Amino acid sequence: MAQVDWKTPKAIQYRQTEVKRTKFRFTTNRPWTQQFAQQNRVGTRRKKVFVEPITDWSFFNGDRVEILVGKDKGKQGLVNYVVQERNWVMVEGLNCHYRSIGKKGDYPGMMLQSEAPLLVTSQVALLDPSDNKPTDVEWRYTEEGDKVRVSVRTGRIIPIPKLAEETKDYKTKRTYVEQEKDTTEDDLTRITFEPALKTFEMDIATKMGIEEDRVPLKTYWY
Amino acid sequence: MALPVTSSLVQTRAISTSATAYGKKNFRKFLMYGKRGTRQFKQQVKSDPTSEFHQMFSRGVRPVGELVGKKYEVIPEKIPELIVPDLEGFKLKPYVSYRVPDVVQGEFRPQDLFHAVYSQKIAEDFKAGKLDEEGRPLEPSEEEQLTPEVAKERALKIGSDRF
Repeated sequence: MAQVDWKTPKAIQYRQTEVKRTKFRFTTNRPWTQQFAQQNRVGTRRKKVFVEPITDWSFFNGDRVEILVGKDKGKQGLVNYVVQERNWVMVEGLNCHYRSIGKKGDYPGMMLQSEAPLLVTSQVALLDPSDNKPTDVEWRYTEEGDKVRVSVRTGRIIPIPKLAEETKDYKTKRTYVEQEKDTTEDDLTRITFEPALKTFEMDIATKMGIEEDRVPLKTYWY
Repeated sequence: MALPVTSSLVQTRAISTSATAYGKKNFRKFLMYGKRGTRQFKQQVKSDPTSEFHQMFSRGVRPVGELVGKKYEVIPEKIPELIVPDLEGFKLKPYVSYRVPDVVQGEFRPQDLFHAVYSQKIAEDFKAGKLDEEGRPLEPSEEEQLTPEVAKERALKIGSDRF
């Protein structure tokens, strides 16, 4: 991820340079939020966090996982939140700590339960649907050619949950509510093109009723 | 007694342009105007409408007329006329709904155009036996009678600069 603050104009007299920032501290705040901007404001330099590079990411929102370390070791839960930049996953209601906010004088403040992130590589494991036990997962291809997650121990396919399809606009594509400015399927897929032996300009001329009889003089290339 | 000149040193002067070439040329915080040329020369360039100076600051807009003496005369034919279709009853909207599955359409090639225009007639003629030994139609339709010259003439009539 790079935030380009200034780029020299694209012209022959300029040397192509950019003033940009590439090193960020990724947290549970998404990069477009105000909290992220505050954490990575101009002038802040944080120590580098070393993250194991994972080529095929296997954890999605709504996946059943088991926690392998900590207070909630052995407990199973659903994945709520994913932060791929840090290999993090937050499990709903598990691996929590309590914090109180708004403490003032005698008033003890309001107690909040907040989940702590778990590392995908070592602290969490996907469950095999056949026996509900933690397994290692690999991405393999089916006979039809689809890429699926497969449990290494049993070979059972672990399907991708429906919750993973959710975005800000819809829960699932099928349940999206069509708005005023959306083209519907019927209008989009209807073919209105009628092939005719005309160039684009000739076609427009017939449709607009433009008639031209003048034939241009012959031109020669030498 | 004058001594004979055995060797002569020809003094030459050179201007090093590498320093200026590698140096910073374009500052964004303050404007560096051009230093080269006399005031008269720079005024000449500014007033000449065909000079490169005007091309640099023009943004590529085509002129709508011509300078006749000191007056700028607008030529109506040079003003572009945008022909835009009437969108009355047009069903397509700016966005596409998420529900729509992907539409995969192959490229419309010249072979497909030929197929659309000529293939039906050819098939019918063949079945009815209206093709001669070489395969040419005995009752050619309007499109089949078209020669390359006539077709090109038709396309050129519109006046676009396609060909």
